[in-house]
Formats: sequence, structure tokens, C-alpha cells
Amino acid sequence: MNDDNERQREFERARKMRNYAIAGVLLFLVALFFVMTIVRLGGHVAD
Amino acid sequence: MTVAAENRESVVAVTGEFATVSDYFALLKPRVMSLVVFTAVVGLALAPGHIPIATAVTALLCIAVGAGASGALNMAYDADIDSCMSRTLGRPIPQGHLTASTATGFGVTMAIGAVTVMGLLVNPVSAALLAFTIAFYVLVYTLWLKRRTPQNIVIGGLAGALPPAIGWSAVTGSLAVPPLVLVAIIFLWTPAHFWALSLYRTSDYVRARIPMLPVVAGKTKTRRQIVIYTILTVTAGFAPVLLGFAGPLYLAVNVALGTWFLVQSLRVARECDSEREPQARRLFGISILYLFVVFAAVLAEQVSGITPFQPLIAG
Repeated sequence: MNDDNERQREFERARKMRNYAIAGVLLFLVALFFVMTIVRLGGHVAD
Repeated sequence: MTVAAENRESVVAVTGEFATVSDYFALLKPRVMSLVVFTAVVGLALAPGHIPIATAVTALLCIAVGAGASGALNMAYDADIDSCMSRTLGRPIPQGHLTASTATGFGVTMAIGAVTVMGLLVNPVSAALLAFTIAFYVLVYTLWLKRRTPQNIVIGGLAGALPPAIGWSAVTGSLAVPPLVLVAIIFLWTPAHFWALSLYRTSDYVRARIPMLPVVAGKTKTRRQIVIYTILTVTAGFAPVLLGFAGPLYLAVNVALGTWFLVQSLRVARECDSEREPQARRLFGISILYLFVVFAAVLAEQVSGITPFQPLIAG
């Protein structure tokens, strides 16, 4: 029983860390596309 | 059933539900990725014209992710081989932390993502080159050549050689002679580098039934080929000087390290201890140092503004 609980906790911990990593990557991509859009607009950003 | 085939069955049987972020990171082959990114930086720095810093960082990020995707797809397909070899036994799939299908999904997603972002945010030429590089590494090297011919790493080496061209095209949107010379240097360097490794890991390759040159043609022929490819690499290393895009610092580095690289390859050729292969182990390290320092010299000359020699050959 204790082993099962430990495995369950380990599984949830691994899944949580993976989810944080995916969230981090997605946020980074949002920031990247935003910055690159501004860069590409360049001097025309206020047009 | 071969050892590799039995391993493939046991490898795909694991669930992979306990995979950590570091397991996914290990799939990217971070050490290979670092050399890929470094050589791409050199191509990028060498290219004429201006590139916004954000675009340059994006391009390098895409190259890094593309290299990582190639690594993940290679590990997914070669899980059976990896579990036979002591050097690769600790990778996430043979360890049962991840399934091959999960690694495949991860690799494909990253490959598509890297090429798409490169195409949208940098330019189509660099995206096409990145796509070609990933496809060549996965389809031509991993799926086709690796298990079939001792020329696997010679031809397959093209994938690892292309990053300077991708870096250059990220700036210019085209290709030219200088990045192709850098590609040629890495391409010619690859066989000596990997055959040095295969000399002291021969039993691994025999067990995994990979037809590396020492397995198929013997160690004597491999030693001879290492010397030939080292001569070709160091000779090609003079091309940037002759073509007028490298200067005195680069020349000095290529002469000094090229001589060391060549002398060490000759020591490998005369090796008596074919069990432990100490000279091949040393050559493996020196080959990495040679490539790194020679490319660092190109970068240093660009950054510090050292004037290249006048071209002796029209590029």
C-alpha cells in the first residue's frame, strides 16, 4: 500500500514538473513571437 | 532473434510515465547540440550584412531545437542499439524512463516547431536548410546508413556539418563559398573523430551489430583512414586563409592545432595497445579541441576585427 502511494506521488511529481516545463516553453514562445513581431515592424511600429 | 531485436521489444515495453524534465533534456543530446550551436554562431558571425539580435537569437534557438529534435528521433529509433552499448546504456529510453514512441512524438513536434519558427521569423532558406539537416540526420543517417555501411558516419556527417551554412543563411537568406568551406571542414573532420571513438568502443559496436569501420574492415585499416581524413581536415583548414576570410590568428591556430591533431593521428596509426586504445581516446579529445579552437579563431577574428589575408584563390 505504501509502495503504491509512493509510486502515485512520484508519478504526480513527474507529471507536475513536465507540465511546468510545457507551460514555460509556451510562455517563452508567446514572448518570442511578440518580440519578433516588434522587431519586424521596426520603425513602422507606430504606423 | 538478435540482441538488438530483443532489446527493442523490452525497451518499448516500459510506460514512461515517470519521465522527468531532465530525461527529456537528455533526449536532446545537449553536448552535440552545444557544438552545433557554436558552429552555427560562427557561420552567423562570418556572414556579411546586419541581423537584428532578436532574429539571430531566434535562429540559434531554432538550430538548437532542430538539433535536439534530431537527437531525440535518433534515440527513439536506436533504442535497441543504445541498450547494447555501454556508452549509451544510460540514455532515457534504455533506462526505461521514456518510451520510444514518446520520444518520437517529442522529436517530431520539436522538428516541425523549429522549422516553422525559422521559416516564419528568420527566412525560408535557413528554414529549408534546417529541415534538410534534420531529415538527413534522421532518414539518411539513422534509418538508412547507420546499420548498413561503414560509410555511415562519413556520409551522415553532412548533417552535423551544415549548421555554419544555416547560420550564414539566417543573415543573408542565401549560401556562399565561406560557409560551405566551414561545412567541408566539419564534414572531413567527422570520420577521424568518430573512428577514433569506434576504435576504443569496438566491442560495443560488435555487440550492437553496427558496421563501423573497425568492425567491418579491422583496426589497421581504420587507423590508416583516420590519418587520411586528418590530413584532409587540416588541409581543408587552410582554405579560409586562401579564400581570404581568415587572418593570422586563424592561420596560427590551424598550423599549431592541425599539427597536434595530425601527430596524434599518427600515434593512433602506430598504436600497440589495441585493447585499451589510449592514443585513440586522446585523439577523440584532441579532435574536439581542434574543431572548437579553429572555429573559435574564425569567431575571434570577426569579433575583434582582425583583417583577413588577401584571397589567393578567387572565391
